[in-house]
Amino acid sequence: MGAPDRDPSSARLVVGVDIGNSTTEACLAAVAPDGSVTYLGAGLTRTTGVKGTPDNTAGALRVVRDVLARAGRRPDEVHTVLLNEATPVISGLAMETITETIITESTMIGHNPTTPGGQGLAVGTTVSIADLAGQPPGDPVVCVVPAEWDFDDVARVVNAAVARGVAVVAAVLAGDDAVLVTNRLDRPVPVVDEVRAVEKVPLGMLAAVEVAAPGRTIRTLSDSYGLASVFGLDPEQTRAVSPVARALTGNRSAVVVRTPSGDVTDRRIPVGELVLRGAGKELRIDVDAGAEAIMATIARLQPLDDVHGEPGTHVGGMLAQVRDTMADVLHDADGSAQPPAEIAIRDVLAVDTFVPAEVRGGLAGEIALENAVALAAMVRTSRSRMQLVADQVSEQLGAWAEIGGVEGEMAVGGALTTPGVDRPVAVLDLGGGSTDAALLTRDGVCTAVHVAGAGELVTKLIDSELALGDREVAEGVKWHPLAKVESFFHLRHEDGTVQFFDQPFPPQVFARVVVLTPDGPVPVETRHGLDHVRRVRRAAKSRVFVVNAVRALRQVAPGADLRALDFVVLLGGSALDFEIPELIADELAPYGIVCGTGNVLGTQGPRTAVATGLVRAHAAASSCPAG
Amino acid sequence: MTDAAQRPAVLVHRAPAAPAAVLREVCAGAEEEGVPTDVVDVPARSADAVGLAHAAARDSPLEVGVGVDAAGAVAVHHGKLPADRPATTAGPDAGPQDWRRTGRTAARIVKGLPLG
Repeated sequence: MGAPDRDPSSARLVVGVDIGNSTTEACLAAVAPDGSVTYLGAGLTRTTGVKGTPDNTAGALRVVRDVLARAGRRPDEVHTVLLNEATPVISGLAMETITETIITESTMIGHNPTTPGGQGLAVGTTVSIADLAGQPPGDPVVCVVPAEWDFDDVARVVNAAVARGVAVVAAVLAGDDAVLVTNRLDRPVPVVDEVRAVEKVPLGMLAAVEVAAPGRTIRTLSDSYGLASVFGLDPEQTRAVSPVARALTGNRSAVVVRTPSGDVTDRRIPVGELVLRGAGKELRIDVDAGAEAIMATIARLQPLDDVHGEPGTHVGGMLAQVRDTMADVLHDADGSAQPPAEIAIRDVLAVDTFVPAEVRGGLAGEIALENAVALAAMVRTSRSRMQLVADQVSEQLGAWAEIGGVEGEMAVGGALTTPGVDRPVAVLDLGGGSTDAALLTRDGVCTAVHVAGAGELVTKLIDSELALGDREVAEGVKWHPLAKVESFFHLRHEDGTVQFFDQPFPPQVFARVVVLTPDGPVPVETRHGLDHVRRVRRAAKSRVFVVNAVRALRQVAPGADLRALDFVVLLGGSALDFEIPELIADELAPYGIVCGTGNVLGTQGPRTAVATGLVRAHAAASSCPAG
Repeated sequence: MTDAAQRPAVLVHRAPAAPAAVLREVCAGAEEEGVPTDVVDVPARSADAVGLAHAAARDSPLEVGVGVDAAGAVAVHHGKLPADRPATTAGPDAGPQDWRRTGRTAARIVKGLPLG
């Protein structure tokens, strides 16, 4: 099919189409024979299918028809549709915990029931409440109460025992009854409740129970020497119980049972080594060493050729999983899948993170923050099937369609339409899978780089660090500001301002931390306060996008010197984020860089930069036929 | 009665035939949270649990009330909420855990904690 020349004297209708990972964007313009461009409209829709595959055709056609309709033009008026050559990278994610807390012999209960009873520290031998009636007077006793016991019965049995001279100094309950029981005791004692697996508490052993006053945390059981004093431990034994003390830090109540071989271990899981190849060298780095060491090693091996994980280790499994996922997406031009072994990982972003995990051997659903490392990996591919998409668009629209240019270069062209921007300009495209940078020098030379890690990794970090277990909720936390619902009629925004509502909030959001979506407040299921959620959100964005902005800009900056850059324009979906642009601008300000969010054509914000760049490049080429 | 109504407490309006077991768990739920309750007997021809709860909430110095009707249904209300939109309810056959939950919910509205 040839390019139809309907009327060479008048302007030709051109549509630039940018198929991205999540959105497909279009820019409609009339290009006059002298190359001058009149923009007629822009639009976007969700990308259909995986970027760079024939499934994209449906979304591309939809957005083209949409911008045409809104501009009042017909599809048969279109002269040329220009598609982007996809950024030749695909990315994947993996995460692995590298520590594990295990309690053996049920020796420790460290959790925060919302309402423990009584207060103070008490030490005694564990006795089941069923055996309390037969307990001889004398030694102090810690009473252990199974789930089926009613609070009135517990109080009666304990009071009777105390009246006989049995020193009941504390109690451990399965149910949520601690205050009720304490209120009914003749002599109140510290009571820890909501210990779900109370039947596993070893009986006949020495135990210490500590409940702090409201608003305070325990002081003795969370201190190694406190434990040593309570249980009369020697220095060697004290060393052994120090993980217990650490695990209990910050709790309002705790129980520690001393058994002959009970222990809490804080085990490092051997994750394995990353094997990195690049710049003619091969280096190995233990993932245990942490993100900083991994990133330093990667920096020494630029440009990276490939990354492998030591076979048979966790990291080996992590990278194999990333490769497998990518193999599903990468296809040869004939549509056959690319074997995983042939996929070379060209960049890795490692991020230190933590995962709240239920403690193995815990009795009350105790949670420990385990260290973890998250890896975003990026693969280069030369096998985009965008030409196939162009052919299908051409056929179904009845207009000429072609690949108009490579994404990075086109993005710079589009970014230049932002008011206040001039060459030399660098763009940062903050996408879902990768962060891309491109630099256009004063002389018109363009270089582009891609680094692993972007919006998807931010979502994953938020999801795991807040233990949300729900990607959609994590996305909500990422995209929307937080607030705390303070009554049925008002909430406090994360900046401290209070807003009144004339309709009552539904009971399920009462007193909760919520994200303010356009559809109203959505609760975040977490026991953490607003400040904690906000800190996790901002840290996740900073560790991915600020780190990657600097990494990517260094790679395109002349002499790897950020001071050599003048204008930086932020583009892509994450440039619409309410705080990522300011986080990056803050980081770049000391280098004397003008950094801001793109506003393509002065109206489109950070969207449609590539689509607009395609139209500009086409117009420039058609105005000087020799070039 | 009038003295009791003055102290800060969740008011529980009880219909004459309201089951004692339900009332016990409702009050226990609030007590475990550390919030006092005052039980008020209301005349026989009163409303359902939601109506009782709303009246109790409007009388309560804490603006939170619970209604237990003759069948044993429970409702929790806040004085500023529309009469037909209680904070939570439990049916007559709900069982001790749900009754306890309604008392806890009433206390948590007072304390400004998630109702859960």
